[in-house]
Amino acid sequence: MRCEQVKSVLNELIEGTLSEPMRQQVQRHLELCGECQREFRLMQGIWRGLSAMPEVVPPADLHARIMTHVRANTRLREAQPRGGLFRWFGAAAAAATLFLMGFFVAQSDGVQAAFGFGGKRKPTPELAQPVRAGIFVEYRTTSNGARLPVLLARMNREMQAELRYTPPEQPNATPVLLWQGTLQAGRTVEIPLQTLLQSVQGRVVTLHWRSETQSSLLFMPVGYPRAKVASVRLQAKLGDALRQLASLYQAPIEYAAGCSEPLVVLDVQEATLEEALRQLLVGTGCTLVREGELWRVIGP
Amino acid sequence: MHTGAHAGTREGMHIYDYSTDAVLIERFKEGDEFAFDLLVRRYEQKVYQLAYRLTNNPDDAADITAEAFLRMYNSLKRFRGEAQLSTWLYRVVSNVFFDFRKREARHQHLPLEVPDEDEELVELPVPDESVDILGHALQAEQSRVLMEAIQKLPEYQRVMVILFHIEERPYEEIAQIMDLPLGTVKSRLNRARNALRQLLEPYRELFEAESCPTTEEPQEADDALRASQERVERAD
Repeated sequence: MRCEQVKSVLNELIEGTLSEPMRQQVQRHLELCGECQREFRLMQGIWRGLSAMPEVVPPADLHARIMTHVRANTRLREAQPRGGLFRWFGAAAAAATLFLMGFFVAQSDGVQAAFGFGGKRKPTPELAQPVRAGIFVEYRTTSNGARLPVLLARMNREMQAELRYTPPEQPNATPVLLWQGTLQAGRTVEIPLQTLLQSVQGRVVTLHWRSETQSSLLFMPVGYPRAKVASVRLQAKLGDALRQLASLYQAPIEYAAGCSEPLVVLDVQEATLEEALRQLLVGTGCTLVREGELWRVIGP
Repeated sequence: MHTGAHAGTREGMHIYDYSTDAVLIERFKEGDEFAFDLLVRRYEQKVYQLAYRLTNNPDDAADITAEAFLRMYNSLKRFRGEAQLSTWLYRVVSNVFFDFRKREARHQHLPLEVPDEDEELVELPVPDESVDILGHALQAEQSRVLMEAIQKLPEYQRVMVILFHIEERPYEEIAQIMDLPLGTVKSRLNRARNALRQLLEPYRELFEAESCPTTEEPQEADDALRASQERVERAD
């Protein structure tokens, strides 16, 4: 065999597609010809190098980028409640859809992107990342002045967590699963709530947060701005009372229940939310903490 | 058909869905937009990876990925399931890439493709002598040089080399993706390999180097090579 012939079939030799007699001829030539041997090693090296190319890691905001592009160029619908029997199921499914589509993970050293926040990723300088573990609520201001609520979850070690919600019009229904996943230590998971809140009726949505170390209810107001003061008269279990206050004042309240849920009575006139909460919690043994936009009530 | 246990995994999140592609496509056709979201999560990494290999640029790759899924959204209702969704998506990505390059060429007033293998090929920069050619460094340098060389190939050759050698798609699937007869795919791929080999002539020593026994990668590379040989055997 001549060198040109051998070189022309080296790819087939590497692939293993040469006929057996041909392969033997080529092998015999390679044993005797240093130049063709070198050529064979080069081709083998190229094949091997191509096969061993490392995996490419996509950017963290890839999904948000895709969905933003698709949404901007299609009629991908906002969740709209339908009539009749399907009304709640339709709204819940659609809300879950858009809610999950709006979900993304941000690095702790800088917020990267938000689906439904206007496309281009731009950090919101006014909002500091939380440094403590737990769930938090932030309101992001868009260029047109709208304030969009975002739930932030951050833990100090890896753990499983999930978020469910109860629609206001079905308070006794089984909570719908919205998100389930693994929280990484030091990473903030951001869950935009705007689409969910837009898709439900009523004044407050009950979110159920559960992780290995924390189980709590989060009463998220549907509207904004909130009421500064209000007159309240109620008698209810603590969780229900807090839900009513979140609805009345349109402020997010988290409730991590203790071992028992006390019955509480409240009767205040023209009170701020803080005054109402302090009054409500007298004698319950609960702790009241304010974390930015969020009022946190921790059971005894 | 994809029957994966979950639709998508990203750092810190898992959205579980055991539905096959066909079920999700049916759900999407019936108006369930969430099914589309799940399909995107299922394939976005693969699509991005192919787009990145084709462009060697993360921004362009993300743009191509987004556009490919937009095209998927617009035509999924007409998808009849004759090919696997992944095959169909590879085809969409290739087409988006070709369009992207055409647009780029128009803007830059440059010829669309570099000369074919019969003409003089563009030379790559000289090898970096300071590179430690052992283990990881050897493989990393090979990958870098290969990516640069692949970018010099004409578009069709580039797509074929990437699909066969890196994405490890069999000949039949590449024929479906490129809408070409099997024989044409094989002969064009051979030309593409020879063109690549010419481009890599200045890097001969880098690729002639024996596998380094102190690292695991060459063994993996040998396994991958064997796998591609098995694919070839199946194709025949």
